[in-house]
Amino acid sequence: MGLFSVIGMQQAWLLTIVPIFGFLIVALFGKRIPRQGDWIIAAVGIFCLFASISIIADFQSFFHGHGFEPNGANVLSFEWINIPNYLLIEYSTFVDSITIVMLFVVSLVGLMVVIYSIGYMQGEVRYHWYFSLLAFFLAAMFTLVTTGNLLQLYLAWEAVGLGSYLLIGFYWEKQSAAEAAKKAFITTRIGDVGLLIGILLLWRASGTFDIQTIIGLAEASYFDSTYLTISMIFLFFGAVGKSAQFPLHVWLPDAMEGPTPVSALIHAATMVVAGVYLVSRMLPIYELIPVAQNLILIIGLITALLAATMGLVSQDIKRVLAYSTVSQLGYMFVALGVGSLSAAMFHLFTHAFFKALLFLGSGSVIHATHKQEISSLGALKNKMPITFLTFTIGALSLAGIPPLAGFWSKDEILLYTGEFGSVFYGLLLFAALLTAIYSTRLVIMIFFGKPKDSEAYEHAHESPKIMNIPLIILAIFATVSGFFIFPFVGQLFGFDDGFMGIVYLYHPHVFHLEFTTMITAISISLLGVLLGYFYWFYEDGRRANNASKWAPEIYNLFLNKYYIDNFYQAFINKFVLGLASIIAWFDDKIVNRSGIDGSAQILNYVGYRLKFLQTGKIPNYVLMMSVGILLFSFILLINY
Amino acid sequence: MLSKVPLPQQFDRLIVTGGIVTSVFVILILTILLILKFVGFISYTEVFFWLISSGMIIGALASVFLKNIVHAVFSLLAPLLGIVAIYLFLGSEFLALAQLLIYGGGVVILLLFALMMTDVQDNPVVIDGSQKPVGFIIAVLIGFVLLYSIFTADIEIATPSSLSLADLGSNIFTQFLIPFLLLGILLDIALTGALLNGKKHKNLQSSDSDE
Amino acid sequence: MIPLENFLILSSILFCIGFYGVLSRKNAILILISVELMLAAVGINFVAFSSFYDTERYSGHIFALFVVAIAAAEVGLALGIIIRLFRERKTINIDEANELKW
Repeated sequence: MGLFSVIGMQQAWLLTIVPIFGFLIVALFGKRIPRQGDWIIAAVGIFCLFASISIIADFQSFFHGHGFEPNGANVLSFEWINIPNYLLIEYSTFVDSITIVMLFVVSLVGLMVVIYSIGYMQGEVRYHWYFSLLAFFLAAMFTLVTTGNLLQLYLAWEAVGLGSYLLIGFYWEKQSAAEAAKKAFITTRIGDVGLLIGILLLWRASGTFDIQTIIGLAEASYFDSTYLTISMIFLFFGAVGKSAQFPLHVWLPDAMEGPTPVSALIHAATMVVAGVYLVSRMLPIYELIPVAQNLILIIGLITALLAATMGLVSQDIKRVLAYSTVSQLGYMFVALGVGSLSAAMFHLFTHAFFKALLFLGSGSVIHATHKQEISSLGALKNKMPITFLTFTIGALSLAGIPPLAGFWSKDEILLYTGEFGSVFYGLLLFAALLTAIYSTRLVIMIFFGKPKDSEAYEHAHESPKIMNIPLIILAIFATVSGFFIFPFVGQLFGFDDGFMGIVYLYHPHVFHLEFTTMITAISISLLGVLLGYFYWFYEDGRRANNASKWAPEIYNLFLNKYYIDNFYQAFINKFVLGLASIIAWFDDKIVNRSGIDGSAQILNYVGYRLKFLQTGKIPNYVLMMSVGILLFSFILLINY
Repeated sequence: MLSKVPLPQQFDRLIVTGGIVTSVFVILILTILLILKFVGFISYTEVFFWLISSGMIIGALASVFLKNIVHAVFSLLAPLLGIVAIYLFLGSEFLALAQLLIYGGGVVILLLFALMMTDVQDNPVVIDGSQKPVGFIIAVLIGFVLLYSIFTADIEIATPSSLSLADLGSNIFTQFLIPFLLLGILLDIALTGALLNGKKHKNLQSSDSDE
Repeated sequence: MIPLENFLILSSILFCIGFYGVLSRKNAILILISVELMLAAVGINFVAFSSFYDTERYSGHIFALFVVAIAAAEVGLALGIIIRLFRERKTINIDEANELKW
């Protein structure tokens, strides 16, 4: 790996600076650059991948001699804001094992998405603006994962939110896209407020924003335990918003209004896992607070189940994938809730690849047919063989079929949850079953059966090479990235151990095959696949239709997303708008009409009355003047 | 035509009645002042001063109260000429001379010219404004304030010193040179303004005024 | 020897009479006459104080001189205005020159 060590951990800031420059150049001058500057962003993406691998190599060689300290190092920090004796904020970069996993995921998926977008976005409006936004997002995301400082993290956190907002609303001419962007921004903002409160609470008590310092203080029982619990729950609330966990999950399905590669990058692989990243980063503190950790576990579990059931009935390819993403993020939070950093990060690692693959595959289908509803697709197997193959690999990986990547990581989560409690284990297995069912349903509905919309079918064609190559690369990763769990694969890349021996909290996990869990997981996955096959493959899914008629209440419950959106809408309509109308009434009637217009009217009236004092007759004026003189002279007389 | 000009008869009547009234007042005031002198309140100089002062005050009252505008203007001569004597009491000959020339010779004549150019010939009797009572009260109150402050003030006893013309000249042309020059400019401007104002502008003529 | 009070009393009385004239008269020329009375009263005050107390500079005398000059200028201008007014309106009653109102 020494070959790559040109850019070391010291130079991690390059990952922020270079994409920012790419963003500025393409955003400002994109229209005048040949091909509207997409090659600049592609070069930025290649650079980022190269730099990330280089940093990982540096990390590996540095810690090889130091016995793999679980903590990384503040590899760079300089004074950012300094108010002497009061406030010192440093700009710092920080690289540890969590960071390198994130770096690899973000840079690889980012590059794949940029390349794919060159084909997908060909001829779209605002082509250069799209690419510059991708660079902006990458800059923010790299800053987020390399920061060693909570304030800087918050900055990057908001920046990725902004990038997400702009990209969801990329087709802002479309009403639904504009509203989805707004919804995503506002919903995540609710969580962000919690994050900000949490950060400020921690800063208030400790006087620092530095993450490692805060962890050290927390471990030394520096904080009051209730205070720490409250601030960490606020921090987790930020993660809930960003990672689309229940009850703030509503924005992610709507965010599918954005271009599909964006969904792959932001809403599957990188930004939405920022919450997982944050909780992983702070996990040493959460380990100290059982209340907060149980909350994480329960929220994760609820989300995993809810989203899986919603994904079962959704009629839009991308929405199914979005619900699946929410559900898998729930899995990661469950893993964090039971205290397994390794399992959560490993699932994040594999999930990024196969979910990005699924999104890009669905983008390929949409690009070919201009249809998103699975009810108007079908039988595309022969028309789009490469898309079909890669999509199926992704879906099976999601379903948890060995030896694909999803199986290994999900297996780890199930294993640790099983150690924690059997109820959670059972519920998580049920979610895994649902995952397998809807994955199968998606593949069958899109690629098998009869074409439901003949026009779309006739129109369908295989995507260009520039879109297929990222699909193939991601498919390879979706297949092999699970093997990183084996120690010998890690050793192949110069590490001492497999994934579990690199990313861990207190002590490295020793990987060994747990046959009971494994066989249960495999059988559940296979059962799910078979059920999907049984329900949707035969007789054009008549059984599935019957099943939906069998219990229409439950079906409608799923279809209407548990009425959570309706509830929120009603809450906004009744409560927020009601309150707003009261305030508007107050503003209009009291402040504006009475306060501002009223005072003006009083002055107007008084002026109208007083103007008749101006008689125009000079003797009157002289009289008034003499009265004034008289008064003044009396005052003088009294004073002397 | 001659019968339409009532001025000679008016002057006759004015002179006769004015002369009789003034003589009566002068004799009355002189008697009072002489009594005061012999009682010992005032000196001869003060008798003379108050005699002149009472003439001034009577003239002033006449110029303010008389209905006939010509009579009012002529009555103004009494206070204006009385001031000449007052200035002489205060030992300032030059001021007295200037006052006599400018007011007695200039201003009153100017006023009479103005009267002549307006409609005085047709209706010399003026109607006063409606604020007469209010004005009276205010004037009395101001007088009260002034007199009260004069009588209650602690006035240092001093003797007036007369001012020689040479001193006045050297003061004006040394210490007060710039104000004096500015005064000259002001007079120039006033003269020009009066000329421009009095001139007939073609565009400002009212339609019925004949040329 | 005449004490200062006498001059002050005289000037006060003249001033009040002039003030009353300004307030009560309607005819512009008569108002002007009253203003002249007030100016004369002020002049007496200036000269009296000056010759009693300011024997170094006699600034009161000079001020009185200035007042006389300015009064002359004022009379000239005012009469010009009055004649102009009469030419425009056939009257010198200032109550009728009341355009400057609401």
